[in-house]
Amino acid sequence: MSKAENFAVLGQNVDRFEGHDKVTGSAAYVADVFLPGMLTGRILRSPLPHARIRNIDTSRAEKLRGVKAVVTAEDTIKKGWGVFFPDQYPLSVGKARYVGEEVAAVAAIDRDTAEEALELIDIDWEELPAVFDAAEAMQPDAPLIHEEKENNIALTIDVVRGDIDAAFKDSDLVIEDSFESVPQWHSAIETIGSVADYSANGKYTVYMNTQTLFMARMRLATALGVREADVRVIQTAVGGGFGGKSCDDNNAMVAAILARKARRPVKIINTREEEFLAGSRPRVNMKVWMRMGFKKDGRIRAKHMRIIADNGAYSGKAPAITGVAALRHDTCYKYSDVRSEAYLVYTNKIPTGAFRGFGNPSAEFSVEQMMDIAADELGMDPFEMARLNAAEEGYVSPHGNRVISCELRQCIDRTERMIGWKEKRAARKPNRGLGMGCTVHVSGKRHFGDYDGSSATIKMNEDGKAFILSGEGETGQGHWTAMCQIAAEELGVPFSDVAISEADTDLTTFCLGNYASRLTYVAGNAVKNAATAVKEILHETAAEMLECDPSDLVSRDGFIFVKGAEQRSISVADVVRGRQFRRGGAPVVASGSFDADSVSQDALRYGNESGAYNFGCQAAEVEVDPDTGHVKVIQYAVASDCGTVIYPIGAEGQVEGSIAQGLGYALIEGIRMEEGRPVNPNFSDYRLASMRDMPDLVHEFADSYEPTGPFGAKGLGELGMDPVAAIISNAIYDAVGVRIRTLPITEEKVLRALQEKKNGS
Amino acid sequence: MKREMVLNVNGEEHDVEIEPNRLLLEALREDVGLTGTKEGCSIGVCGACSVIVDGRLVSACLTLAAACEGKKIETIEGLARDGELHPLQRAFVQFGGFQCGICTPGQIMAAKALLDHNPNPTTDQVKEWMSANLCRCTGYYKILESVMAVVEGKVDEGRRDEAVRQARIQSLYQSDTYKSNASD
Ligand code: FES
Ligand code: FES
Repeated sequence: MSKAENFAVLGQNVDRFEGHDKVTGSAAYVADVFLPGMLTGRILRSPLPHARIRNIDTSRAEKLRGVKAVVTAEDTIKKGWGVFFPDQYPLSVGKARYVGEEVAAVAAIDRDTAEEALELIDIDWEELPAVFDAAEAMQPDAPLIHEEKENNIALTIDVVRGDIDAAFKDSDLVIEDSFESVPQWHSAIETIGSVADYSANGKYTVYMNTQTLFMARMRLATALGVREADVRVIQTAVGGGFGGKSCDDNNAMVAAILARKARRPVKIINTREEEFLAGSRPRVNMKVWMRMGFKKDGRIRAKHMRIIADNGAYSGKAPAITGVAALRHDTCYKYSDVRSEAYLVYTNKIPTGAFRGFGNPSAEFSVEQMMDIAADELGMDPFEMARLNAAEEGYVSPHGNRVISCELRQCIDRTERMIGWKEKRAARKPNRGLGMGCTVHVSGKRHFGDYDGSSATIKMNEDGKAFILSGEGETGQGHWTAMCQIAAEELGVPFSDVAISEADTDLTTFCLGNYASRLTYVAGNAVKNAATAVKEILHETAAEMLECDPSDLVSRDGFIFVKGAEQRSISVADVVRGRQFRRGGAPVVASGSFDADSVSQDALRYGNESGAYNFGCQAAEVEVDPDTGHVKVIQYAVASDCGTVIYPIGAEGQVEGSIAQGLGYALIEGIRMEEGRPVNPNFSDYRLASMRDMPDLVHEFADSYEPTGPFGAKGLGELGMDPVAAIISNAIYDAVGVRIRTLPITEEKVLRALQEKKNGS
Repeated sequence: MKREMVLNVNGEEHDVEIEPNRLLLEALREDVGLTGTKEGCSIGVCGACSVIVDGRLVSACLTLAAACEGKKIETIEGLARDGELHPLQRAFVQFGGFQCGICTPGQIMAAKALLDHNPNPTTDQVKEWMSANLCRCTGYYKILESVMAVVEGKVDEGRRDEAVRQARIQSLYQSDTYKSNASD
């Protein structure tokens, strides 16, 4: 359902809040932070995937001129940190568990000196047997990666809803298949970095390009053994996050430890190679086995999924990601009887973690192909089948996710039209094919404490301009702009009269940060509530000044009017001044909070993970070259249900960026690994799509309104990424009759499959 | 051994004292103090460090500062004059040609180098030329739209409605190749 509202600022393509800084080169990213006396930090990383440290001798490094501090685990409290399992140390304690792990670090007057010092650190290693494949690591005789654990299984999920055996018996068609996804690196053009300072009174100040400021502070406090208030984290401009800058790595910890020892500010910026080795935590790769049962008419009857997920050496967010892969997609279609098993397994590789989609891309790569296979076997049109099974308003998933607004069917209809499905299927061209798929995502996720909220403070300046204090931060997606639009709309002031603060843990209230497509919905509600509270104060004072009742007042374009007598008005600036500059005067300032009406999952993983769910449908037309296996994406169509669109350029940008990353994931992104070691960790080997690689893209937003969202809005940032790989695979099957079940879908794989098909195997 | 030299950046002379192997990227950022030029890959692949030297687009991460002595170096900081944004800068703001902004100085310098030589490139020429500048955020659609807006004199025309925007993006795009270096 849509709800037409006459917005003054929402839905307008305003100039992005921080736009001028970014196009003039004046936006300050972490690499642009220079503090007096600042040193360069460099990290010594494990060259081995699994090895005990018999001894570390740093004496030669310490003597090098220009070296101000050398640190090892002996300079730390040796306490593990981690969101779900505290299994990671800032610097290796006793042994290293993957190639790239931080073992020691140096702070020196410049980079050359720091790097020379690293060479002078002597480590006596005892190499241990290592394991790189998650399925192998599950075997009882596999090398044990964390000795204090019984085996390498970090997490087991086995959720059964309904009567799964009976449901399969009751199915007319049962299909079974297996799929495999790969690790994908965020590859933000800016690597992870930090500048840490330590003051004589014991306080750390850390400039970071993190997406999750307060989470970073919490983890730093744990790793450093201090209280939260002893750490101040200031967000710099962030050069791309996508989940990779959520402080699940050790960069900032090591900088802080060096700064304390050197008593000088220390900057550590990951090199691109370090970013691949031990920086942003790549997407959790999963092997997925599935069995699904269908009725003759195309309705889903039963689903059984078994996931083996690769955790890498330490846990980070992979436990939550595995949970999402196992359960979230059941919110997309109507299911009654499902079983989801998942095993998250330690291996001697870089820890995996959060990347746009958070487990959903691996799940959708499997489920959306199963749907396509079933449609094919039942002789049904995939769009018909999707429409038949699509979730709708009021649907409650078998795991408790409660759908409020849902325009999935509308998205299906729009996508079918945009890609020209019927026309193109009626006039097929050789080696051309069409594929489609659906997707679901959240708008915030309740999994850190029993809290899925946000808060913001708005203060009014004497000139009538509003200033939002928020700790959520901007990662590049346009969040600041959207928040200023929401505040402007609610306050009744022009967009140009609203500004927003940088995120700073000392100056803003607790905010969870940028993940789970949560900002527009969760933070937007908090900002709107703060604006409502400010407006009440303004109206109270304006009513005194205009001698009327506050309930008779309306705000618009920076003025407050008496309803029905619009010549009686006063500017917001005059009201702010009127309230401040008088006996007993006070500033106009108020805070707003919001906590989504979601429910934490119980021990059996039943709950309602988010306050609102966003939906979408996508389709692709591809052309496959039968001689080379080359897949050319001709056209790509996307329809997204994100409720009210607040900032259209920003929203379109999220869709376009998601599809680009999704196509990269589907077709080209991957890294050669040998014995847990990336062979060429750089951008010439790990290829990103460039401008000429992008297909014709058509997209539309559904006419939609989420009643619990700010002005009807909900999340969008990850939704587009989730189903792309499956849709490309479905289109390739439609084009040439071969199905590729492992990512990325390289030319070699397509060619090999075509040859096997020709040989009749 | 460090050596004194003069670097001409955006029309201003800067005295610097640097090692002969100092990269232009480091010299600009750390010795001249202009941090608008960014580092993304350090191997000449991403284009984040693109600057113009004597009219030619170069990767500052692969160029020695000493080799630029006596030459005219242009960086992102030199584009806006007296607070007035360059048309490319205005186009990137109006058409949303960036998100995180880390690739943006390089994108704008690359576009400037192209338009300085050829003010009327075709869409395909722009795509080909700009393909040396990676962006992980935007999917390139709005970068292309921003550059083409300058070519077609559409900057400052005000907001167009979404249907026109959409039609425009579609008309700019036709698919091209995907090739993988990844192993199976
Ligand atoms: S940093 Fe120079 S091209 Fe990437
Ligand atoms: S805008 Fe972020 S990399 Fe281009």
